[in-house]
Amino acid sequence: MTDDRLNSQSVLRVEDLTIRLNSGAGTVHAVEAVSFALARGQTLGVVGESGSGKSVMARSLMGLLPRRAMAYKAGKVVFQADPAPAQDLMQMPEKQLRHLRGPAMAMIFQDPMTALNPVLRLSVQLTESLRQHLGMDRQQARRRAIDLLAAVGIPDAGRRIDQFPHQLSGGMRQRVVIAIALACNPSLLIADEPTTALDVTVQKQILDLLARLQREHQMAMILITHDLGVVASRADHIAVMYAGRIVEHAPAKTLFSAMKHPYTEALFNSIPRINDPSHTRLQAIPGRPPQLVEPASGCAFAPRCQYAQARCLEQTPPIVTVPGTNDHKHACFFPVSAAPGQESVDD
Amino acid sequence: MTDQIPCHLRERDDIVLRILQLSVNFPVGKQTVQAVTNVSFDVARGETLGLVGESGCGKSTVGRAIMQLPAPSAGHVFFNGQDMTDLAGEALRQTRTGLQMIFQDPISSLNPRRRVRDIVAEGLTIWGRENADTRVEEVMAAVGLDAASAGDRRPHQFSGGQCQRICIARSLALDPDVLICDEPVSALDVSVQAQILNLLEDMKARYHLTMVFIAHNLAVVKNISDRVAVMYLGKLCEIGNTGSLYARPAHPYTRALLASIPDADPLAREQASIDGEPLLQGELPSPADPPSGCRFRTRCPYAQARCAEEIPQMQLVADDHYVACHFPILEPQAVR
Amino acid sequence: MLNKLADNGVVRSRAQGFSAAARQVFGRGFGPGFWIAAGWLLLVALCAAFADWLPVRDPLDPVIANRLNGPLTTNILGADGLGRDILARLVHGSRVSVVIALTAVSIGMVVGGTLGILAGYFRGHFERGLMAVLDVILAFPWLVLLLALVAFIGQSLMAISVAIGFLWIPAYARVARANTLSVVQREYVLAARAMGASTLRILLREVLPNVILPVLAYGLVAMGLVIIVESALAFLGLSVEAPQPTWGGMISEGKRHLATAVHVALVPSVTMFLTVLSLNYVGDRLRSRFDVRESNL
Repeated sequence: MTDDRLNSQSVLRVEDLTIRLNSGAGTVHAVEAVSFALARGQTLGVVGESGSGKSVMARSLMGLLPRRAMAYKAGKVVFQADPAPAQDLMQMPEKQLRHLRGPAMAMIFQDPMTALNPVLRLSVQLTESLRQHLGMDRQQARRRAIDLLAAVGIPDAGRRIDQFPHQLSGGMRQRVVIAIALACNPSLLIADEPTTALDVTVQKQILDLLARLQREHQMAMILITHDLGVVASRADHIAVMYAGRIVEHAPAKTLFSAMKHPYTEALFNSIPRINDPSHTRLQAIPGRPPQLVEPASGCAFAPRCQYAQARCLEQTPPIVTVPGTNDHKHACFFPVSAAPGQESVDD
Repeated sequence: MTDQIPCHLRERDDIVLRILQLSVNFPVGKQTVQAVTNVSFDVARGETLGLVGESGCGKSTVGRAIMQLPAPSAGHVFFNGQDMTDLAGEALRQTRTGLQMIFQDPISSLNPRRRVRDIVAEGLTIWGRENADTRVEEVMAAVGLDAASAGDRRPHQFSGGQCQRICIARSLALDPDVLICDEPVSALDVSVQAQILNLLEDMKARYHLTMVFIAHNLAVVKNISDRVAVMYLGKLCEIGNTGSLYARPAHPYTRALLASIPDADPLAREQASIDGEPLLQGELPSPADPPSGCRFRTRCPYAQARCAEEIPQMQLVADDHYVACHFPILEPQAVR
Repeated sequence: MLNKLADNGVVRSRAQGFSAAARQVFGRGFGPGFWIAAGWLLLVALCAAFADWLPVRDPLDPVIANRLNGPLTTNILGADGLGRDILARLVHGSRVSVVIALTAVSIGMVVGGTLGILAGYFRGHFERGLMAVLDVILAFPWLVLLLALVAFIGQSLMAISVAIGFLWIPAYARVARANTLSVVQREYVLAARAMGASTLRILLREVLPNVILPVLAYGLVAMGLVIIVESALAFLGLSVEAPQPTWGGMISEGKRHLATAVHVALVPSVTMFLTVLSLNYVGDRLRSRFDVRESNL
């Protein structure tokens, strides 16, 4: 996808999104000055550990954060579903936002066990949004729901549709969750750790399914995960989050061949690789992810960073574009120069 | 021992742990779930055996059955030549101290109402060992915790990674021979996982441990194991040294597992097939009513009539590499 | 999330000392309502403990001239049908309520709690048998059972406490069993067994400390109910025998004067209402605090 198309056809454009939440111990700086754009048919992989703010960001895009938990919010979330004009979701009243969720943007959560209502038949859960948003009658909606189940690879959909969630396996449930999310053909799909609760063979099936559906519907997708492997071969762009900020953002291949941020590099090197021989010493990142309650100044990764210098502890590095590229950005004063993916990992 | 001894058990003097025809059944309602059926393997001194499989394959149940927590329904667990299934009461309590376990959820593994020092010292206190304080300080230092500052705090004041360090310190206090790790890094942050894996390797060298490492993450298992055993639906389907098993998986299930792993390095497998041949079909059958013959046959792309009739036995396919399959994949086509 | 926040609290407690440490134990405070309720309970407890030394009149001394006088006249809270001082009777009556509440709840807690922990830990036939017996007790109309017990063991303060305490055994056994079932599944119990800990040691070191807090918090709510049960007995004339003042007995006596002097029944009623409300409120807040901590551990 070329860059002009990216600019002209952005389904979602996030500018300086900042979210702070109230908690028992103080204000949590969950998302700080996050910006990115996402075009039709593209996948953005968001990678981060727990507490990196990736889930809070996803929920805030959908307007799903409880209002009373919000201490402060700023920035723009400009959403453009095809015929409609661009609109800023941050300014939109809840009532209007509700009409977008479902037909325009949808979300898949981590746990398929809790994402479905255990006391309702699949038919009810699948047809709900079809009837509400698309105004279908009962028969139409049911037919479409069966088609949807078949499309997400559920065998014998005509019988399955009258079952309850507990009669399905975890992988099947996640397929149903995807079918519900896609029922109204949204332009944007946010998948928050969609395969974390699933086994590795099921994970592959679900990721393949998402890739296929995305191709067919030309959806924009945000794929959130803690696993670099999940996004590595499935995302067009990857954003690495740490302590509420995007620390590096690049096209997938560029990221792996020329990572700039020490955290990206450290994360990549700390993962055991299937191609390495046994007992390969892992390069562990010392320390642990920082607290987001009233964070100190400076780069959040500095205390764990092997390249950190005095400046890193004082100033917060701004996000800058790598010279010679237009889509590789990072937030580091002393970016990594070598391509660590090519290095040997021997001690 | 009238049972037939499977061919993949080794005749060696340094076998610390030998599991023979282990079966565990659980009553669930009126049905009986066969969580583990006729699983055999052995672990030599200083070796790490990785036990992999997906959820519900019985790998954790094997780990607990080794500890006799609870005791298996059938089969034998030989620890240093002593059959633990013959022991009961005081003798079992004594012998069990030679095997220790760490668990997936480090936070629920630690009693929230007790101080860290007491938790680590628990085993020493139970057995009235002398110099308990010195030992506690030593193992806490070994896992990277300062006994003076951390000892008087309670578990909820630590992060998940630190809690796992406390669990490791506790398991080492009694100086066990065997450490059984049940998914020890799955609940941890990615950046903390490597710390714990490295720590386990260090502790293994320092305290001369033999390990059984149970996990679902094949890359993690490969990193830490000398040998790997793959389980599916309560049975062992393949066992062998790590290099051979990962390079030339002979069981169709192992192949499917390996092909499913998303690799963090897209440059390393540029040609990886996203929509390749189907490696698995259908759904996991209920362990209450497992398929006849080979348990994997309902999902196997190569299944034939014989697979439904005859239970496949372990057979040698390469040096120290055994597979329980009637039609193992033997051509040298590496999946990765 | 909370777990991490607690983590953070510790890092600071070194610098900020007690206040941060206290906040860590009690969270962000309970709010003024909690402290008002707790204050009232403290007042009731002090009255019960020091009734004989407090500067109140003799609760048993009938001053005919003061008969049915309203509050803030000759007597601060008025006088009853025999001219006895209501404030003095409330103060001395609190002793009965407090003693019965404490004794009955303790009996229920110790006996029921022990049975519940054992049932939850050992399961099997013992659990099934115990639960069957408890279900039978629970299914029995409690007032009838209580009347039978009181008729059997007498009307002394101790006898009534024991009788009410007996009624609480099933409820406590259930609370303790449910909590034990969840604690036993935790890996630290498994780890203790792996280290060779004896059953008794596991029960005392691993299970009991984790079961006792929710059970204690439930105790406050139970005390409120015990006070009401005692007053119901008193209303039927089956509680501690006259002339010993009790709140229930005072309400019962005030019933006759409702048309002419409403305060005789109203003052003890309001006192009891406030006490039970405070017990429920404090108990509920404490329990929710423990529950939150439990779920995050």
